[in-house]
Order: sequence, then structure tokens, then C-alpha cells
Amino acid sequence: MIPELESGNIALLSMLTPLAATPLMLLLHRYPNWRETVSLGAGLVLLLLVIQLHSAGTTPLETTTLAAPVTGISIALAVEPLGLLFATLISILWLATTVYAIGYMRHHDESHQTRFYIWFAIAISSAIGIAFSANMFTLFVFYELLTFSTFPLVTHSGSREARLAGRTYLGWLVGTSVGFLLFAMVWTWILAGTLDFRPGGVLAGHITPSQGGILLGLYVIGVGKAALIPFHRWLPAAMVAPTPVSALLHAVAVVKAGVFTILKVVIFIFGFDLVNSAWSQELLLYAVATTIIIGSLIALRQDNLKRRLAYSTISQLSYIVLGALLVNSASLTGSAMHMVTHAFGKITLFFCAGAILVTTHKTKVSELSGLGRQMPLTMAAFFIASISIIGLPPAAGTWSKWYLAMGTVESGQWLLLGILMVSSLLNIAYLLPIPLNAFLGSSGNNKSHFQEAPAPILLAITFTAAGCLFLFFWPDTLYQLASSIHLP
Amino acid sequence: MNQHKETSLNPNDSSHSSRLRWGIGLFFMLCAGLVLADFIFHRHTIHPWETLWGFYALFGFVACVLLVLIAKVMRLFLMRSEDYYDNR
Amino acid sequence: MIIADLHPGLPFFLGALVVLVTPLRYRWIPLLLTPLLGFINLMGWELGTTTELTFLGFTLNPVRVDRLSYLFGILFHIAAFLGILFSLHLKDRMQHIAGLCYAGSAIGAVFAGDLLTLFIFWELLALTSSLLIFARREPRAFRSGTRYLIFQVGSGVLLLAGTIVYFNDSSSLLFEHIGLTSTAGWLIFLAFGIKSAFPLLHNWLTDAYPEATPTGTVFLSAFTTKVAVYALARGFPGTELLIYIGVTMTCFPIFYAVIENDLRRVLAYSMINQIGFMICGIGIGTELAINGAISHAFNDVIFKSLLMMTMGAVLFRTGKINGSDLGGLYKSMPKTAAFCLIGAASISAFPLFSGFVSKSMVMAAALEEGYHWVWIGLLFASAGVFHHAGIKIPFFAFFSHDAGIRVKEAPTNMLFAMGLAALLCIGIGSYPWILYDLLPFPVSYLPFDNTHVIAQLQLLFFSALAFVWLKLSGIYPPELRSINLDFEWVYRKLVPTQFSNLVSAYQRFAEIAHRLWVYSSRRLEVAGRRLHGPDGQLSKTWMTGSMIVIVLLTLSAVLLKNLL
Repeated sequence: MIPELESGNIALLSMLTPLAATPLMLLLHRYPNWRETVSLGAGLVLLLLVIQLHSAGTTPLETTTLAAPVTGISIALAVEPLGLLFATLISILWLATTVYAIGYMRHHDESHQTRFYIWFAIAISSAIGIAFSANMFTLFVFYELLTFSTFPLVTHSGSREARLAGRTYLGWLVGTSVGFLLFAMVWTWILAGTLDFRPGGVLAGHITPSQGGILLGLYVIGVGKAALIPFHRWLPAAMVAPTPVSALLHAVAVVKAGVFTILKVVIFIFGFDLVNSAWSQELLLYAVATTIIIGSLIALRQDNLKRRLAYSTISQLSYIVLGALLVNSASLTGSAMHMVTHAFGKITLFFCAGAILVTTHKTKVSELSGLGRQMPLTMAAFFIASISIIGLPPAAGTWSKWYLAMGTVESGQWLLLGILMVSSLLNIAYLLPIPLNAFLGSSGNNKSHFQEAPAPILLAITFTAAGCLFLFFWPDTLYQLASSIHLP
Repeated sequence: MNQHKETSLNPNDSSHSSRLRWGIGLFFMLCAGLVLADFIFHRHTIHPWETLWGFYALFGFVACVLLVLIAKVMRLFLMRSEDYYDNR
Repeated sequence: MIIADLHPGLPFFLGALVVLVTPLRYRWIPLLLTPLLGFINLMGWELGTTTELTFLGFTLNPVRVDRLSYLFGILFHIAAFLGILFSLHLKDRMQHIAGLCYAGSAIGAVFAGDLLTLFIFWELLALTSSLLIFARREPRAFRSGTRYLIFQVGSGVLLLAGTIVYFNDSSSLLFEHIGLTSTAGWLIFLAFGIKSAFPLLHNWLTDAYPEATPTGTVFLSAFTTKVAVYALARGFPGTELLIYIGVTMTCFPIFYAVIENDLRRVLAYSMINQIGFMICGIGIGTELAINGAISHAFNDVIFKSLLMMTMGAVLFRTGKINGSDLGGLYKSMPKTAAFCLIGAASISAFPLFSGFVSKSMVMAAALEEGYHWVWIGLLFASAGVFHHAGIKIPFFAFFSHDAGIRVKEAPTNMLFAMGLAALLCIGIGSYPWILYDLLPFPVSYLPFDNTHVIAQLQLLFFSALAFVWLKLSGIYPPELRSINLDFEWVYRKLVPTQFSNLVSAYQRFAEIAHRLWVYSSRRLEVAGRRLHGPDGQLSKTWMTGSMIVIVLLTLSAVLLKNLL
């Protein structure tokens, strides 16, 4: 460790770490063991750097400027609690996913594995860039980079289906970001003269309430990665990607980058008062609430496991957006916590889906009856993660949903509170029958002897599932960070 | 499908008839004795109805007959075949 | 807090962990030891202790030991021991673990001193108990269990909402008297109401309990509803609404119990009836009434467990549980039959059996407080409970017409469990002061005076007389293979059929719309052909002049608009 480094520089280093690993991976593409060692090593270094950031503290908001193409617009990094939370989440889960991917890609005999690892590292780098962006422009650049770096991962198999899905993926994400987000950003710059993220926001005093309403709407819609219905189609489409991609990117990094952007905009561009006075706040809240319910209802009808999980993600992401738009301390805490708890839960579920695919070549929910005898560890992890997503003890989701519910009460939004409650019941209906059927249903054509997924996969699953439980019993660190995201 | 079940309480049932008749006879006597007990022991009462002689005996009998009769009528409206909920 | 004093529920979760890794042969050791060690641990807690800790910025009281929670704590240890003993023969590890965790959650819930802790254990109760239903491993039980879980978690989320609103109002999470004065109060009331099977919210109980495993139902009958009764006694004593809810609960299920065929479902209805007495007592709210409600909860857990155990043993041995399929089993299972009779006598409140010393307190309290019609209702329900639980259960299972079933007597562990429960029923019934000394308020009530004994005996004997008469005259409704519609019809039949009607109506509409679309587009195509086809109107080469005319017209229109 190099203690004299400023936090901004460590942030820069951590962003560059995955990027730096890519040439090595390319060089070593004939030696898979070494290539994966590099990947794991990069993951470790990244994690250590982020831990270093935790101990460095984040109190003084230092900005490290990398480039300033136009006066007032710069590419700059800074560390604040919300970004640190996001970066920590990504670095921990990247390591887990790398372990998982080793088992998955080899066992599944995927082609072009080097390409896969390289794009994966670039995507992580972009996500870290998003986490530490010091202004909206930087965030936008990394946001687009993330889209483009994940595109080759979505189309990885090269099949016609994958190419079509890739087109949907790129179309929706680039379309919304260029069509709305870019526009909103430019407008913000014109109004406020800066794009910096500042506590309390930069727009206050520069904008009329009616403009504020429109601008807020543009931001929320423009962040397609938050997958608000009807701008969600790219997410189910992205499920053609290999499972590690679906797990880390489409349950954590990409989608969380979306809700992270919304949180950033709400807290550091708008500020609480402006959001609360925006006429579109109520409207957007109900759009988000509709997404929560509709997403769950669609998930209920999916027989393809990964698609069911994708729609569940759409629904759960809206919990976070809901918390962001309610802008009170409880709801923001809940949002930030839900970013993490949902990430651990959903990545576990995707890991399990991949483990099932690799071991039994099954992709449908209806085929999983009795699978618990063959894959007890995987299905137990699935059960724990499901409970966490539903928000039942003893799993971490309990706390984030608790704070989100507190947020609705603090704002007096009774209907939204009711929707959160109903959604919990819907979550039960689409998630719990899967593990219960696996353990207690008739085994049908499933093997009844023990035959689990490969060891690296199991290791990753156990780790993330344990995370779901751990964060229930010891949520303090998470809570400290999450509850300070909106403090100046 | 609904076969009316024969009950072994039927006094003409050959297997237990004598024992059962004894039992029922004893039971009737106990009932009579309990009503007579109202003469011997004073019950402290709160509700005016309680002061009635043999009130609890009467109430128990009437309540149960009513209960069964009403339940029988309920069957006319509420009874369905066992797989009622399974046939969608 | 001394190290020796573990959280009272914790031994059960630790026990579950030990059971998880213990091989089948030795599993009985941790299973039986858990409730015993748990009990010793509980004895280490002194009355009046409250622990406090700060968690996520909230002040929590994970353990509060007062007379009310202590009594329920002891009760749940007894119930857990009975349930474990009864299920000792099982080879199903999951059921054992679920049972232990379920008991631990119930104990955790009654010792919770704040609403957040209560919520956690409330949800754990829902989750762990549902596993005992799913463990039946039949599609029917699976569907039932899912409905059960939705209801239970529904209760949980209402509690969550109520707790948060409560905290928002008062900045406190302390679980004390809540009352119905605020929105928070109503939300929490409703949450408790679902779990204690209020009328119209009761069908999860009659739906799921009879579908659980033979041993699972014994656990289920002991914990969930009694935790709810405890919570109502803590949060809503003296709420008048509860009196009427309670008396309704005592009366309506007995009609269903008379015509129900599944004997475990008869017991489920009878359970609602017994809970009704407790809720009524809580609603009346005097010291006598609360004492009555609590002691009745205590006794009910034991005699209802006993009855559920006897029926579980019958189901376990014969594979049948319908009154129409059973009968004459006293020849094969004489001991089980005897235990069933003791349970029946206890639930019917025969003098010297446990129900007698507690139920009459609630009724006396109703009279004393001037709720005369309530008292009449309770009296009616007392007669009725004897009719269906006291007579019907043992009669149709063990006596009645001999169905010709010849099986072995229940396994030894089951007999021991039933024997122990029977012993407790008679023990408390004959010497009620062991129970009375534990009650929240000092007891001055004398159960065995002339009035109570004679009145109760008259009531019971003449209820029996009615049964004998109705049976002899052939009026008594026969046991039929059937089910009876209850409120669940709304969500199991009405809503699903209406929903599918709606869906099919939509599909019909969509089909018509589709046809219309196809038809009209075909017509458009034809029309288009006519216009654009080789000789179509639009295919003619138009003069440039007409174009200019159109442009001019448009321009002038725009100009005109600007001028105006």
C-alpha cells in the first residue's frame, strides 16, 4: 500500500487496474491458467485499493482531474460514500464472478474466452469509472463506455439470436442515453453552468419548478440502465449472454450503474428540495411503482429461469429508483442498501441458474422439480437468495426493504407503502416455489443422486449466499455508508 | 358416493346391544341425577336465566340440537365434492 | 447479561444446527436435549429483565422477561418437547430442523420487547412453519402451503408497515399497549388478526393445517396462533372490538366442525373456536378475563396438541383421516383412543380436566362485566365444542361403525408424547394452581365450587344427550366425503374463475380486434390497389399545375392564420 496517495489518485488507480490487466490477458491467451490468474490478481488488487479508500476516509471531497477538453467540462474522479459503496460492491462481486466464470466458461466450453475476460475487465473498469465520477460528464462518458464494452459480451455466442439481442441491447441503451440523458445533461450545463456533483445540488436557483419537472423526467427516462418499464426491453434481451455476464453485469454492474446515476443526479445535481418541488415527482413515483408490480407479474409468467430473474431485476431496480425519488434520509439509505442487498441476492440467483445450466443443461423453471436432491448446495443458496430478495429474515433484503418502507412513510406515501407490501407477496409467488419444488417436489426426470456444479462455481455461490446472511446479522458497515450518502 | 353410515349407537346392533343399552341407561340416569342436583345445591347466579331450574341442562340440549339442525341445513348450500377446488 | 443467559430462542436454532450435522442414528439426542437445555436456559432469566441493544440506530429490546412472556416461554418449551417427542421416529431431517427453528422463532417472538424484533421472529415463524406443510410432499399440500405462506407473510408485511408508521408517530419501537387509536394500531391489529385467524381471515388455518404432515400439524397447532394471542394480549387488551370478534370466532366454526369430514380439519375449526375464547377474554380486559385468556391459551396448546397427536397417529398408521373412512380403531389403537378421550374431555372443559379451569374464567368475566349476550354466545360455543371436538373426534375415529381397519398401535415415541400431554391435561385440570401461579395477575377464582361444577356437568351431559338422541333418531348428519364452502371460496374459486373469465373475454376481444384488423387491412389493400394499381387514381401522372395550386393553398392558409 502507498499511504501517501490521495483518495482521488487511488480511485484513478482502481479504475485503471482492470484495464491494465487486459494486455496481459491478451498476451497469455494461450495459457488459460495464467490468464485467469491475471484476472484474479487484478480483482484482488482492485479490492485492496477499494479497501484502502475505505480506510482513507472520504471526508474532504478531493477531485482528480484527468482532462478538461472544454472549460467547465472535465473528466474527473472523486470519492464520496455512494460511489465508494458502489465500487466496493463491484470489486467484491467481480472477484466472486471471476472465480465463478473460471468454472463456468471451462465447463461450458465457451469459445473466445480471452475476448470474454478482456471485455469483462473493461466493463468493470467503466463501472468503477462511473462510481468515482466527479461530474455528470465523466459519468456519461463511462456510462456509454459500459454500454459498448458489454455489447460484445451480450453477443458473445455469435448466434443469430445473440446478434439480434445485441441490437436490442445497444438500441435501447444508446437510444435512451443519447436521446434523453445527453439532452438533459446539456440542458443542465446551460442552466447551471457546471456539471459537477455537489452536495445539495447545482441546479437550485437556476431553474423554474416546471423546468425542473421536465428535466427530472428526462434524467430518469434517459438512464435506460435503470430499466424502467417501458424502457426495459434490453434487459431480458441481454440474457442471451453467458451466465457470468448476466450475473455480474446485468444483475449488478450495468443495472446498478443506472440506478446509481439516478441517485447521483437526485442528490448531487438536483438536491432534495428541487426534487420535492418538481411536478413530475409524483408521476415518476407512480411509474416506478407500476414497474415494481408489472415486473413482478411478468416474472411470474416466465418459465425460462434467467428471464424470470431478469424481470425480477426490473422490478427490484425500481425499488431503488423509488427510494431515490422519495428523497428523504430513510428512503435514500434504503436505496443505497438495496443496491447492495439486491446485488448479493440476485447475483447468487444467477450463479445458481448458471450452475444448473452447466450441470444439468436445464433452463426452465418447470424442469427443476426435485433438483434439490442432486444439487442441494446450489438450491439451498437459491433459497437463501430468494428470501433476501423477498425481504424476509434472516437475509439482508429485510433491512433495505425496511428502510425503503420507512422512506414511503416519512413522505406520507401510503399507496407506495402498500405497493411495496404487495410486491413482497408477489416476490414470494415467483421465487420461492423454485427452491421449494426443487427440495420437496417429485424428482421427475431429475437424478436423485448428488451431482453438484464444479467447485469454483460452488465456491462463488457459497460466498455470495453467505453474504446475504452476513449482511442481515452484521449490516452496520453497510448501514453507515448507506446512511451517509446524502450528507454533505 | 355418499353411503349413509350405520352407527353402532343403534340399540338393535347385535354385537354390543346389551352392553350399549346398559351404558345408555346409565347415561340417562346420570343426566337425571344432574338435573336433580339443582334441588340439592344452590348455584350462585349472575344472569337471571341462570336461576331457572335446570337451565344449563336445557341450554346444552337445545343448543346442540339447534347446532346440528342448522349445520344440516348449511350442508344444502355449502357442501361440494371433494375435488371442488381442484377442478378449475 | 451473563454469558449463561442465551437468548431464550437461541438454543433451538443452535439445536437445529447440531441436528443438521448429526447422523440419523444419533439425531434423537440433540432433538430431545434442545428443549430441555432451552428450558434450563430460560430458568436462568429472572423475571423483570429486559435487555437493550442498539442496532442500525434503533434501540431494541431483544429479550423482555415479564410474567406474560415468561408463561408463554414455558408453554412453548413444553409444546416443543411434546412435538419433538412425537416426531422422533421421523427420518426427515428437514422437518426436524424446521420444527426446531419454528419453536425457536415462537419463543423469540414472545420475548421480543420491541416491534422490530417481533417482526423478525414473526416472519421467521411464517417461513419455518410453512416448511412443515411443504414437507408433506404432495401437490395439494404444496398449493395449500403456498397460500398459507402468502397469508403469513401478508401478516408480516402488515406488521412491518404498522411498525414503521408506529415508529414514525412515536419515535419508539417499544412493544407495549398499542390500541386502535392510530393507523399504526390498525395495521398492527390486522397483522395480529391474520395470525390469530379472525373471521374471514381464518381460512389459511383450516386450509393448511390439515394438509401438513402428521407430525407437522402438532407443531403448527401449538405456536403460530398462540404467538398471535400473546401479541394481542400485549398490544390490545381491553379493546372492545375483540370481544365481538372473539365471540364470532367461538360460534361460527362449530357449525363447520359438525359437517366437516376431515377430522384434522374439524380440529382446525375447533382451534378457531378455542382462540375465540381467548380473544374474547383479551377484549374484556379485566384481570380475571386476561387470566382466563392466557391460561386457556396455555391449556389449549396442550390439549390441542394432544388431539392433533392422536389424529396424527391415526393418519400415520392408517393413512386415512376422514370420518367417513374411519371407525372402530379403539380395537387396534386402544392407548391412542384413551389419550384422545382425555384430550376430548379437556377441550370440552370437563371438571378435573384442563379446559375447565381456564375457559370458565373468561365466561365468568363476560358475565361480571355485563356482556350477557356475549356470555350466551360463549355458552353456546361451549356446548358446541363438546359436540364436535369432545364427541365427534373420538367417536368417528375410534368407535362408531367399525371400518375394519386393523393397524398397529402408534409408535412408542408417539405414545409417550401423547401420554405426557394427557398427564399435563389431568394434572393442570386437577391442580390448577400450578398454572394459576404463573398468570399475569393474582388469581382469586375458585374453579371447583358447586356452581361451576354442576353447571358445567349439566351443560356437557345434556349436550351429549342431544348427540345420543340425534344419533339414535337418525337426524345426525352422516359423515360424507365432501368439503364445505367457506370464505376461502372467494380467493380459491370466485376470483380465479372471474379472472380467467376476464382473460378469456379479453382473448375473445383481442381475436375480434385482430380479425377486424385483418379484414380492414385487406380492404385497405384492395382500396390501395384501386388507387395505386396500374389504373389507380393516384397512379395517374398529375399535372405540375395542380401541385402549385396545393402549395399556394397551404401557404395562404398559413398566412391567414398568422394574420388572425
